Order: sequence, then structure tokens, then C-alpha cells
Amino acid sequence: MTELYAIFIFLFVLFLLLGSSVWVGLALMGVAWVGMELFTSRPAGDAMITTIWTGASSWTLTALPLFIWMGEILFRTRLSQDLFRGLAPWLRFLPGGLLHTNIAGCTIFAAVSGSSAATLNMVGKMSIPELRSRGYPEHMIIGTLAGAATLGLMIPPSLTLIVYGVSINESITKLFMAGIFPGLVLSGLFMAYIVFWHFTTKGPRPKPEPAMSFGQMMKESMFLLPVMGLVFVVIGSMYTGYATATEAAAVGVVGALTLSAFQGSLNWKTFSTSLMGATRTSAMIALILMGAAFLSLSMGFTGLPRAMAELIEGYNLSPIALIAVLTVFYLILGMFMDGLSSVVLTMAIVEPMIRAAGIDVIWFGIFLVVVIETAQVTPPIGLTMAIVEPMIRAAGIDVIWFGIFLVVVIETAQVTPPIGFNLFVLQGMTKHEIGYIAKTAIPMVGLMLLMVVILVVFPELATWLPENIRSRN
Amino acid sequence: MRDWQPILGLPLWFWLFIAPSLFALFCLYNRNIARRIITPVWRVLDPIYKISGVIAASFMAIILCLIVGQMVSRWTGTVFPGGTEFAGYAMACTSFFALAYTLNHGAHIRVSIFLNMNDFLRYWLDAFAMLISAITATYFARYAVKTNFFSEMLNDRTQGLDQVPEWVLTVVATFGTWPWNWSELWASSSSDMVYTPVWLPQIAMSIGTILLAIAVWDNLYRLLINKVTSIKSETVE
Repeated sequence: MTELYAIFIFLFVLFLLLGSSVWVGLALMGVAWVGMELFTSRPAGDAMITTIWTGASSWTLTALPLFIWMGEILFRTRLSQDLFRGLAPWLRFLPGGLLHTNIAGCTIFAAVSGSSAATLNMVGKMSIPELRSRGYPEHMIIGTLAGAATLGLMIPPSLTLIVYGVSINESITKLFMAGIFPGLVLSGLFMAYIVFWHFTTKGPRPKPEPAMSFGQMMKESMFLLPVMGLVFVVIGSMYTGYATATEAAAVGVVGALTLSAFQGSLNWKTFSTSLMGATRTSAMIALILMGAAFLSLSMGFTGLPRAMAELIEGYNLSPIALIAVLTVFYLILGMFMDGLSSVVLTMAIVEPMIRAAGIDVIWFGIFLVVVIETAQVTPPIGLTMAIVEPMIRAAGIDVIWFGIFLVVVIETAQVTPPIGFNLFVLQGMTKHEIGYIAKTAIPMVGLMLLMVVILVVFPELATWLPENIRSRN
Repeated sequence: MRDWQPILGLPLWFWLFIAPSLFALFCLYNRNIARRIITPVWRVLDPIYKISGVIAASFMAIILCLIVGQMVSRWTGTVFPGGTEFAGYAMACTSFFALAYTLNHGAHIRVSIFLNMNDFLRYWLDAFAMLISAITATYFARYAVKTNFFSEMLNDRTQGLDQVPEWVLTVVATFGTWPWNWSELWASSSSDMVYTPVWLPQIAMSIGTILLAIAVWDNLYRLLINKVTSIKSETVE
């Protein structure tokens, strides 16, 4: 009974604080403090600082600011222009044409940056005007971009995976390795969708690109090659066990600085803005991690995580069923919160559960990222429909009535924004209405849910590579 | 030492939580007087936030140097004792020094669904959230400082192999004591290497959390006085 009571108190205080827009990190501390005071006799403040200090001064965490910094440096180079110009000549032969630059561009930039907002901004800034001027349909430009940008969360270096790894004490290198194939498969799915769209729709086609000699093609992608080289060095050094995740990040920063110096875009201004920007992002994540560390300590004292794990064991819930439940749970959570917060918020409870169910934690990390990615582009209605429709039919509720009800909800949803964060970034860039952007993203949501299924059916996609690295730590 | 020892006849929690809240009320009802009182303070605080951000950024550069140094020493076969510990300390310094600076640049994330609903909520809910945040941050800072003092009292040392020269500790300790103790302090100090005491890197935690607490209270006052939040976020991070 105490556990039920504890769950209720935790959830109530959490939603109260988060809902009243207290900063996430401080809100987590507040919840944890309430838990400590109510359920234990330990001095809350002292336990809090001990945990936070141990977490904040840990060496594992140093990969975080360095990877952020690497992305920031390349973000401020002329990489985005070169990304489009360099990719276009190679991709124009594919059915669907230059729309593929969205996917390929996001995949490459995802490999140097750990956040999907940065990926979206970087690629979109250049590709949206270029694709528009060539007459590609607007909904495809925006939809593919919204979907592909989420690859930033999956393809290493991924900030979400670092945070996940730090929260559950798993090797970051392994998690990074696990993200590679699912990320590539997902980007393959997006490209397949563009090809599919090309053959199934009729209508005016954009003009084919003018022919270009091979030498010219190489010249256009001159800057792209070193960036891809950097990606290979960073990931390769981790894979071969030559460097830890932190050291690979340091190599990445030095490489990014060198590249931007050669490109001529490195000056005091870009250097200092990239450094200050990285400092802010890293401190933002650090504060959330501090709050999360205290919260998981506090929850540990209440015995809640153990009770939940025992509950799973007691019910004999199969891993598949547990995964299905968690998918829905994270999709809903992810629509209201950003990915990082939803990971740290739930790990204290979910980790014992998945360990109890015998699920591989590395695999689960990748799974989590796919689901969160999906949630970032999910318009609330699309999801609600998929899950709710069969339910309301079974419950004998009038579907027509429900349609009206939904319209009201949609209208409300258009003024309140509990929609994926990516859609907002796109809104800022394209000045389209959020409803329109959400609609263009729906096929991508479908693809990403397909990815969840693929990941459940073929878990080796995530687990094979990390099991085969020569790891240092 | 009790947690809320009285100062000037009133318990510490009065000075940390009640007094700043009372000033917030004062700001709400006497905007113009409050503005005149607090403007000189703002002139001092703004550069401090900025400087702490710059300090945090330089520690990030130090992390890079430490990691690169560690790799180079591994290639060349020399030993770099305690490199990982130092990188960890630098990490803590980056995080803690940047807290307030990050807050003022709107980079700390929050759930802003209700905040963006209408102007009434934008003002009152933000004020409420800042009050709660300020109290939490003050609590955080109070115990960070306490832990820092305790680490010094118990002479808590690192568990790693990292060592620092003793004169560095003495330089820092000089600022923490009265001038008439300085001669004694320096006389008893040597230039040997000693295992890093935990209180040294923890100073970053104390300073950073105090600054964060001040910054949150400060932003609350600015909101109440100016009627608009002074936290401006960059478009996309």
C-alpha cells in the first residue's frame, strides 16, 4: 500500500511542478525532496549533495560537453551549404530526386551532432529554399525533413544515449555502436518512402538537374569528404577500442576545429560562440541530470523501483507485452516533454523493470530512442487515433461523435502546443501553420513506428555491433 | 553546527527563504521604489553572470586539454596520474559555473504548455514557477555550501591518484581566512604534492549553486518589476 501511496505522491508533485513550468532539473529536485521528507528519516539535503556531487564530477560525463561542442563548431561552419551542394550531384539520379538530400544530409549531420533540433536547423536552413526553388512539393520537403532530423537522436554521437548511459551506468561506447545500424535502417526507410512516393503519385515533376562531369561532382563535395572522414575517425576509434567515448569526443572537437580552420570559417567569434553555446547546452543537461540523480536516490529509498520490478515478475508479463506498454507510455510522455527529460525521469523506475524482465539494456536504449524520436514528430491526434479508435469501437462509443470530439481537440491542440518539438522548429523556419506541418509528418510517424516493430522483431540490429567491439572500458 | 543556525536572532531559513520572498512582495506592490533600489544591484550582477559563463567555458576548454593530454601521454608511454579525476573536476566546474548564465539565456528547459496559453498565465504562472524554483535553488545552494565546509572539516581527500601542490591549497585558503592568520597559514605550508582535498573542486559547486539561487530570485524580481520576463532564449540551440 505504501508503494501505491508513494507513486501517487510522486506523480502528483511531479505534474504540479512540471506543469507550473518550473525548470525541469529543479522540479526533479523538488519532487525528490518531498519524497525524502515523507518516506525516509534520512537528512534530505546532505544525501542530495553527496549524490549530486558524485554524479556531476564523474569522468563518464565529460563526453557530453565535448560532443556538444563538436556539433556546435561544425554548425557554425559553411557545412550546411556544402552539405546540399555536395550531396545534390550524387543523389539526383534516384527516383524522388533531391528530396533525398534531406535524408542524407540529416544522416551525415546526425553523425556529428547529438541533437535533433540542431540537425533540423542545420539541414533545413539550406535544403528548404533550394528544394522549393526547384518545385518539389512542400509537404514532402517538410515531412521528410521532420522525420529525418530525428536521426540526430539515434546516430552517434547522441546526447540522449549519453544521458541514458549515464543514468543506468552502461558503457556509452556500446550504446553508440548499437545506434548505428538502426539509424541507417531508419534513414533507408525514409529514402524508400520517397522512392515509393515518386512512383505512386502523378503530377508535375521538378526539372532534372543539369548534367555534371565527375570532376565537377568531386569538386562540389570537396568539404563534405573531410567531414565524413571525421565521422569515420570518431566512430572508428570507438569501434576499434582505440579510444573511449570521451577521447573520441576530444578527437572530434580537435578535428572539427581543424576542418573549420581549413575552410576559413574559424575565427575568434565562431570559436567563442560555439564554446559558449556548448557550455549552455551542457549545463542545461547537467542540471537535469543533477535533479534526476537526486530523484532516483529518493525513489530508491521508497522501495518503489524494486516494487515495480517485483510486480512485473509477479504478473509474469512477457517482455513483448512490457515493451508494448512502454511504447505507448513513452510516446505519450514524449509528446509533452523533450526526450532527455523523459529518459531521466523514468529510468529509476523502468531500469529495474526491464532488468527483471530480462531485456538487454543496450537494446532497450536504442528502442527508447526510436520511440522518443517518433514522439517528437507525432501530432497528438495521429497517435490518439491509432490507439484510441479500436478502443472506442470496442467500447461501443459512437465513432461519429468521437470525430466531432476530436475536431474540438484538434482545434484546442492548434492553440496549445503539446506537439513534438521538431514541428515547432520547422514552424519557425517555414512559417507554416503547425497543423499543416504535423500533417506532413504523419507518414514519417508511420515509418518510425514500423522501425519500432523492426527493432522488436530483429533485436540483433542493435545488439550485434556492441557485442563485437574491442572495448577499452 | 545545526542546519538552520540563527543569525542576528532569526533562524537561517528566514534569511534564505522568507526575506527574499518578502522582497518579491515588495517588488509587486512598489514597482518604482523597488526598481530604484535594485538597479545598482543589477549593474553588478549582470557582469558576474557573464563572467561565470566565461569561467565555465574555459573549464570546458580545460576538459579538452586534459583528455588530449591523457591520450598523448598514453601514446608516448608516460603516465598522467589522476587525469580522469581532474577531467571530472573540470566537468563539475563547467556545469556549476554555467548554471546561472544558462538560466539567463533561457537555455534551461521547462514545460511551457501552460505558460504560453495567455498573458495572465505568462505573468502569474511564471512568477509562481520562479518562486518555487528560487526556493529549490536556495535549498540546493545551502546544502552545497554545508557539504563543502564539512569536506574541509573532515579533511576529505580524493579516492583517485590525483595530486595538487600544497601551495595551491594555501593560496585558496588565504581567501578563506582573516589576514592575521595568513603568516601562520603560509608558515605551515610546504611545496609538496598532496592528494587533492575534496573541498577544492567543491568550491565550484558552492559558487555555482549560490549564483544560480541569486539568478532565480533576481529573475523573479525582474519579472515582477518589469512585468515581462528578462529571460531571452536564442531561437534554436
